[in-house]
Amino acid sequence: MAVPEEATDEALASRAALGDNLAFDEIAIRYQTRVYRLACRMVGPDEAPDVVQEGFLSVYRSLASFRHEARFATWLYRIVTNAALMHLRARTRRPAESLETFLPEFDADGRHHQTPAELQVAARADELLDRRHLAEKATAALDRLPDLYRSAFVLRDLEELTTAEVADVLGVEPATVRQRVHRARLMLRGYLGALAGVKR
Amino acid sequence: MTEIVCKTGVDLLMDYLEGLMPDEMRAKLDSHVAGCDRCSAFVASYLATPRILRDATAASMPRELQRSLLEVLRTERGDGPQKE
Repeated sequence: MAVPEEATDEALASRAALGDNLAFDEIAIRYQTRVYRLACRMVGPDEAPDVVQEGFLSVYRSLASFRHEARFATWLYRIVTNAALMHLRARTRRPAESLETFLPEFDADGRHHQTPAELQVAARADELLDRRHLAEKATAALDRLPDLYRSAFVLRDLEELTTAEVADVLGVEPATVRQRVHRARLMLRGYLGALAGVKR
Repeated sequence: MTEIVCKTGVDLLMDYLEGLMPDEMRAKLDSHVAGCDRCSAFVASYLATPRILRDATAASMPRELQRSLLEVLRTERGDGPQKE
């Protein structure tokens, strides 16, 4: 059966659920890059291929349960994110050093401890650092985030889902997403600043 | 109402950016940041952080993995490997 180019995700999912294999191939082709990128950001490049494969197999096996109450993309992200979180939970190795140390610091009056020059350095990390070095450190930094913060930050800020969509994917309240994303941004902002030369 | 210092500004920043802050508090925060070099610098770097991390972790899916994914899905469905 020919698959029209303009078919929506939801229409493809319905066809795939009825046994149209080409429709599911089209879903895989349409989403494979996004799913791979999500997997890399969640578990790192070494484990990402396993998450991609497990995620798509799980999506395929669960097609009959897709109820069209959420967007197909949100439903797919939920399944792949859960596959990634299972990988993270199965790890025995944990990051040795938390990123908490990079949270902003204030004096007794509640004023930023760092100077304006130090505070703005993080905004220029991509200009100040070698691209490959920054890529390696960015991946390592994501790995050092607590899992709850990592999943919220990756979905909201890196995959650019809305706060409501992230809440739906993670099964938490939007306020919880905002709190986790904010905390992750604060830690990563401080980390980028330190990486670009700000002493702490 | 809460007096804005740098720390409270940081605590409230997410609600500010998501448009969840009452107008009066929003105006207070705007006023504080406009007059505080440290907060201006902090906000600029806070806003840049997602973009920098997004660009730095934008991996491309290897072609071999694209091929193997389709093969795995076809095997799962029982329609076997596709001939090139």
